[in-house]
Amino acid sequence: MPKALRAAPVTLPRPRLRTLLRAQEKRRGLLIAFEGPDGAGKTTQRKLFKTWLQSEGHEVVTSKWNSSPLIKPLIKARKKVHALGPEEFCLLHAADFRHRLHTEILPALWQGRMVLADRFLFTGLARDAARGLDLDWLLHVYSPLVWPDVVFYFSVSPDTSTRRVVSTRTPKFYEAGQDVTGEGDAVTSYRQFIARVIREYDALALIFQFVTIDAERPIYEQHRRIREFFQSARRRAWAEWNVEAVLEWLAERGEGAGTGARARTRTGTRTRTRARTKTKTSKDEAGRGG
Amino acid sequence: MAGRRRKPAGRLIAVEGTRGRDVTRAAARVWQHLKDEGAEGGVSTWDASGTFYELRLAKQKELTPSPRTLLLLYASDLTFRLRWQIRPAIAQGQTVVAAPYVESAIAFGEAAGLPRKWLTELFRFAPKPDACLHAREKRSSSGWKDKWMAGFPEFASVVLKSTRADWDERRRRAEAIRILARSEGRRGCRLLKKKSLRELT
Repeated sequence: MPKALRAAPVTLPRPRLRTLLRAQEKRRGLLIAFEGPDGAGKTTQRKLFKTWLQSEGHEVVTSKWNSSPLIKPLIKARKKVHALGPEEFCLLHAADFRHRLHTEILPALWQGRMVLADRFLFTGLARDAARGLDLDWLLHVYSPLVWPDVVFYFSVSPDTSTRRVVSTRTPKFYEAGQDVTGEGDAVTSYRQFIARVIREYDALALIFQFVTIDAERPIYEQHRRIREFFQSARRRAWAEWNVEAVLEWLAERGEGAGTGARARTRTGTRTRTRARTKTKTSKDEAGRGG
Repeated sequence: MAGRRRKPAGRLIAVEGTRGRDVTRAAARVWQHLKDEGAEGGVSTWDASGTFYELRLAKQKELTPSPRTLLLLYASDLTFRLRWQIRPAIAQGQTVVAAPYVESAIAFGEAAGLPRKWLTELFRFAPKPDACLHAREKRSSSGWKDKWMAGFPEFASVVLKSTRADWDERRRRAEAIRILARSEGRRGCRLLKKKSLRELT
């Protein structure tokens, strides 16, 4: 960012950011989310899909739920001592999501990489709504919302989810929803809680038009359907879907402020950046990409 | 049959401000006054959950939260305070001075460029305080001091200063003071003075 602009408080010109957004549209990567209850086989399908995308020559980045290096340790410590209430649980996961969005997901997409999200914000919505929080408030907490280009929803029955999870491990306290069911037995609690979560997921799948994959079908069939859908899917323009979230991220990076001849300061005065600065910034953008 | 003695109703007093030191001092003053009048309870302060203290220990390269992320973390800390400090004390008929509460965070968030509507919706879970007092700053010509744990604005400003090129803390601080002052008179918020203290009792 030019030094002069760094010193002067600048309100980033939104039209300029929109232009930048449109220019990047064709170069940006795609965001593909894998959603569904535990034991639905999301991770298996995500890994298969990643391998296939890489074989097609794409650069692929994976972002997992609750994996921000900044927030994850906080959540982990609180989960360990069962100290989280539903609202705190929700807000910490929302902070983790927002941090990953700004530091991992959007930068990778901007650089033209494919991002596979192993769970996305819909996980937060489904789980928190199943914990009894108001969906309207949850949507506010996660806003400005970011719409993936495709959301694959792996649909399974509560029985299948319970059977698959229990065959490999005992569900943990929050995974089993013991904080809200009040059940002492983790498996019994999980069975009750996952039924609620699946109900919320099914409702979200209808509202947000997820691509539903029958996760009770064989693995190769699911993978084939994912590939087929991906190849025929229409690209969603950021300018239509994700303007607020992406512009906020761009503005925070100071992007767009130096790209044009003029930038408006808070006081209403206009500063003309030098042509030299403009050229340098454009070069930076071209080189940096993200 | 003798009538059962009713438990006194608990009260929540919010003390707001744009600088940690002012809020701490004002809270001590308000609590001393209430204590002298025979109130039971205490002061609920920022970062009771230890969230920000733990963040402070994170690696510098990972300490890159946006204003929105910081506000989400403040809100999570407030839910902790409500769950473990404020609601239990009020349920026992005690008085709690929450310093800071919601208005300070909204003023900071708005000054950091977040939409007011998002901020007010975010804090929808917080019950309305019975009284709200502002510890207004007199001077606004400088930025916040680099004292991480003095208060939420100080913490957030230190973080944002190191990660955002356009973070002009002097302007942001002046803006936060202006926004908080604007909310005086609305929703029962008033400036902390001797008179407003007397009216608490």
